[in-house]
Amino acid sequence: MVDQLSPLQPVLEAGRHPLADHSVGVTLGETQPGSIVQLAAWRGQEGAAVATIRDVTGLALPDGPGSGAFAETKAAFGFAPGKFLVIDQDEGLAAIFAGAVTSETGSVTDLSHGRTAIRVGGPKAQWVLAKFFAVDFSLSAFPLGSGISTVHHDIFAQIQRTGLEQFDLYVFRSFARAFWTSLRHASEEVGYEVQ
Amino acid sequence: MSPRRAASGGLIDRSRTIRFTFDGQEFTGHPGDTVASALLANGVSLFGRSFKYHRPRGILAAGVDEPNALVTVLRGEAREPNIQATMLEIHDGLKVVSQNRFPSLGLDVGALNQLASKLLGAGFYYKTFMGPVIGPLKGTRFWMFCEHLIRRAAGLGKAGLAPDPSRYERMNAFCDVLVVGSGPAGLMAAKAAAENGARVILAEQSARLGGSANWSEDTIDAMPARDWAAGVVADLTTTSNVTMLPRTSVWGYYDGNTIAALERVTDHKTSPRIGEPRQRHWTIRAGKVVLATGAFERPLVFPGNDRPCVMLASAAERFAVEYGILPGEKVAIFTNNDSAYRSAMTMQEAGCRIVAIVDVRTDISPAARAIAVRTGAEILTSRAVTSTEGGKKLHCIKVQDYDIRSGAVSGDARSIDADCLLVSGGWSPVINLASQAGARAEWSERVQAFLPPKDADGWVGAGAFNGTFSLEAALAEGLAAGGASAIDVPAVVDAALDIAPAPVFEIEAKGKAFVDFQHDVTADDVRLAHREGFQSVEHLKRYTTLGMATDQGKTSNVAGLAIMANALGKQIPEVGTTRFRPPFAPVTIGALAAERFGEIRPERLTPMHDWHVAHGATFYSAGLWHRPMIYGLPGETVEQAYVREVKTTREAAGIADVSTLGKIMVQGPDAAYFLDRVYTNTFSTLPVGKARYGLMLREDGLVLDDGTTWRLGRHDFLMTTTTANAGKVMQHLEFLLDVIWPELKVTLTSVTDQWAGASIAGPRSREVLAACVSGTAVDNETLPFMGIVYGEVDGAPVMICRLSFSGELAYEVYSGAGHGTHLWQALIEAGKPFGMVAYGLEALGTMRIEKGHVTGAEIDGRVTARDLHLDWMLSKKKPFVGSMMMDREGLVGPDRLQLVGIMSLDNLPLNGGAHIVEELDRENPHDSIGHMTAACYSPMLGRHIGLALVKAGKSRHGQRVFTSDPLRKRFGPVEIVSHHFYDPEGKRMHG
Amino acid sequence: MIIKCPWCGPRDSSEFVYQGEGGRTRPDQSSTDQSAWNAYVYDRVNTAGDHDEIWQHSGGCRSHLKIIRNTVTHKVLSVVFACDTQDQEKPA
Repeated sequence: MVDQLSPLQPVLEAGRHPLADHSVGVTLGETQPGSIVQLAAWRGQEGAAVATIRDVTGLALPDGPGSGAFAETKAAFGFAPGKFLVIDQDEGLAAIFAGAVTSETGSVTDLSHGRTAIRVGGPKAQWVLAKFFAVDFSLSAFPLGSGISTVHHDIFAQIQRTGLEQFDLYVFRSFARAFWTSLRHASEEVGYEVQ
Repeated sequence: MSPRRAASGGLIDRSRTIRFTFDGQEFTGHPGDTVASALLANGVSLFGRSFKYHRPRGILAAGVDEPNALVTVLRGEAREPNIQATMLEIHDGLKVVSQNRFPSLGLDVGALNQLASKLLGAGFYYKTFMGPVIGPLKGTRFWMFCEHLIRRAAGLGKAGLAPDPSRYERMNAFCDVLVVGSGPAGLMAAKAAAENGARVILAEQSARLGGSANWSEDTIDAMPARDWAAGVVADLTTTSNVTMLPRTSVWGYYDGNTIAALERVTDHKTSPRIGEPRQRHWTIRAGKVVLATGAFERPLVFPGNDRPCVMLASAAERFAVEYGILPGEKVAIFTNNDSAYRSAMTMQEAGCRIVAIVDVRTDISPAARAIAVRTGAEILTSRAVTSTEGGKKLHCIKVQDYDIRSGAVSGDARSIDADCLLVSGGWSPVINLASQAGARAEWSERVQAFLPPKDADGWVGAGAFNGTFSLEAALAEGLAAGGASAIDVPAVVDAALDIAPAPVFEIEAKGKAFVDFQHDVTADDVRLAHREGFQSVEHLKRYTTLGMATDQGKTSNVAGLAIMANALGKQIPEVGTTRFRPPFAPVTIGALAAERFGEIRPERLTPMHDWHVAHGATFYSAGLWHRPMIYGLPGETVEQAYVREVKTTREAAGIADVSTLGKIMVQGPDAAYFLDRVYTNTFSTLPVGKARYGLMLREDGLVLDDGTTWRLGRHDFLMTTTTANAGKVMQHLEFLLDVIWPELKVTLTSVTDQWAGASIAGPRSREVLAACVSGTAVDNETLPFMGIVYGEVDGAPVMICRLSFSGELAYEVYSGAGHGTHLWQALIEAGKPFGMVAYGLEALGTMRIEKGHVTGAEIDGRVTARDLHLDWMLSKKKPFVGSMMMDREGLVGPDRLQLVGIMSLDNLPLNGGAHIVEELDRENPHDSIGHMTAACYSPMLGRHIGLALVKAGKSRHGQRVFTSDPLRKRFGPVEIVSHHFYDPEGKRMHG
Repeated sequence: MIIKCPWCGPRDSSEFVYQGEGGRTRPDQSSTDQSAWNAYVYDRVNTAGDHDEIWQHSGGCRSHLKIIRNTVTHKVLSVVFACDTQDQEKPA
């Protein structure tokens, strides 16, 4: 099997770019999951989709728009009515879901190559992300595990909160390098580290 | 005497010295100084020349309302004009220059304009330069002649030509309560809201928080107001749910409590930190907005009121208390209200001598009189200042008797020596933001100003903004605005003066009396406008340009209205006021562009992008995508490169990156049914493992897009769209599914980025594939035209569909995008023995023109399927989107623009966009019968060819006409032919 | 302007695109009533006041929303999923 080549690979440049006082406000990195799968449930079948996600990944999604959950190597969240993004560090999740979801309940779409996963963490993560997205990143408005869909100009992004100070962003692969460049630029002000 | 720094006092840090230059001369100041305060401290009283008349001007105000003291800041090669000296903090190395003067500020030839001032009144431009030419010195042509000179002579600062190297950023913020203004009322509101647990943002346009507390002599909570303010600020700064934004001007109030603010992040720093933007553009979404924006003191309008050293009384107070500045030695005061008496007290305590207080009123309050007596000033009631004398400084004022009932001036003028005149004409609440939010201002007889309405949606006012000038009441309003009642209003000691002014705005006497200082509009200009028939306040504003300068009439609006109302014989509320528009304070264009400054659009790259770069591709931007245009060899021209690429592809094989094609997964039990509705042809009959070319119309029957759709499974279709239309098609389909047919079980997903696509075309393309594909055969049997197979290329799973855009035997090979480069390299290797080349967009475009295939250039939103000879794709067996609208009158008929081929007859290149004409007329081109949509040199025909949409084109094959392209000066004979130039039977594709 | 998406919550209007008036009824797919089609494609009420509109949350969950918005004050009076209202309007 051939490994996936990330669009960020040639420009990632791991390293520290701290402020004069040696502090680093955000860490930036790529999580490179093996699987990114979209699960869409027909109207009235949302519960079945949530159950399937639980059966396949062990993640229990609470009720409500944008709810999500995450574990060591897996994550899932709703990003639109009846639609969920499920992420696994291992490959092959799309095939498993394709076997678990029937055309009576919904559809499964493999996006493992189509989205690039970028992790932004650290005390200034909200500050840096707020430069891009007109979204309230505070914990009360954006609880742990939950996800949203939003856009920065032409760059569409699905974002899940995977820590009090950590967010995982899923952007279209073709825009990933442009977004990464902007993200580094925006992070200079607070000091950053690329992992 | 010049203005100077007092020996002590002020909130500046006297222990440190800052050096900056003004007009090339070095000056010093202290941290906490603005350019205005530092120059006043150095005895500078002349700051600029006025807009039209080049009159010498000094400082009028101390803050964002300053109309005169505009300077240009030089930053390297870049220059930023029209910055208020009163808002610009000094830092080491700051370079500022004065404006609108030549050759220098002190010696200005433009001041000669004053001699011609009779000619330069209101409407000068309209009267002189508009309309028909009557003699040599009138009319539009005269304007063309004079424009250059006038633009040099009149105006504000000059913008530079060098690019601005600064960095700007955008920030989004959310809060429960946004407090605008950090004076006592604003601080109280922020404190109350924060203690309630609300998320609070406090925005203050000045560097120092505290507003009027910084320059008042009041006492709050048994301490000087500024100490109380500093304490509250310190508390709020360390409160986690509060964001303090000093140096932040809230300039726009938009729908839904969306607030625009500009933070000056590093303008006050000698060297910004790495990554720090110069300015940050905040978009704040606030649950509630507390407007604690205070009030502006108004000048009085009287002859000579614009002379340097004539200053607003409150500005002098602020300079004295906040900056330790004495604006003069012998200070006179001219007022229509009590607040100036407090100013007199403050100035006297600061070390000035108050020589006279001139008051238009007959009676003044006992409290005011008591203050006046304490200052030792001569009290001149029922008197008015009717002129000022001096050059670039003030020497004396002339005072005459004034009758407040008639407004008449009488008696001999008495001269009073003074080097500084402080003026107070009452106070106007800063209601600009409320007005932007849609509030209708209400005239208050008591305050003689426009007040915000009581009931508001989304915002609440506090303090002087509401016309509340008592400190205690302002604090109480702040508390209430912040949503608190539990905390008691702190005890207050203030001057306890009622600021309600007498309704006097102008002293009519001989001489120029300025209403709008920044645009040089005088009281006579307003009256002239009235005499010439401008009665509405909106017309007055436009004709005289009153209130239209960068200060947007902060000091002039009310006086202008009052003079207009007087001329009309009406009351001010009958005349009304104009609605304020954003921005409240000037905003840099850079801040609005923010992170998009310079780089306008994000690059969209295909998975194989780096390979293309490494192999000499020249790129072309197609929408946001960057696509290889040619892979040029050293020394090749673009034409040579694509001709080589086309020839090699048609003779052997070629490979192109087609990853940019829009790809949409259409999935679900109703997917086939849905496609039957949206395509003009039928897809439900398409077997799994096959692809079909499809055409989509818009609801109005015109062509939307075309592409192939592949059936990957019973319920799974992969739809491809043209690169440019991917988003539009997606939105069209989503609308139909979500709004029109929500009962259909279909999911649409953009998978453009999921797949890397390589198109391999040419007679040897099958051999190339056979050499590298494993897991499936690719022979004609296994993989017929429009067939789909799955296999592997060098370990990467692939999906191959046999279809052709070039007209050759061709295949599209798809892999996961993450395997794209791997796949591409393997295909390139496999193609080497067969002489395969990589080809770019130019070659692709050439081959499609040779075949007469349409793209976005032809599908321009105006063509029907029949215009493109695609009638055969219109199913008669089923209705589809657009089927009922496509045959309407006007969309059918022989005279439509129809797709044809064009062949150059003079062997010269053709241009897309050129017109087709029957009769060639280079001088006066006319009667276009259509236009070229695409053009190229065809290597296979050895001719310059193109496609065109031509009126009744189908019936014109064989006609000789002309291309007419006056812009590019290309005229010449062409022949209309069929759009199928090459291999019209399609033998090669099926071979 | 802020639009309160029933799924995403309040979002900036820049995340939404206007998709035409909301009061229009598309003729049945098989309808051959030309005047009804003309009306659907071209006729607009263009109210100054409370106005039925369809917006797509294109920069969010991509749902289509039926919005009543006052075109004079820009005040958004109600927001619901367009697919829900469509169900109600369909004859049983």
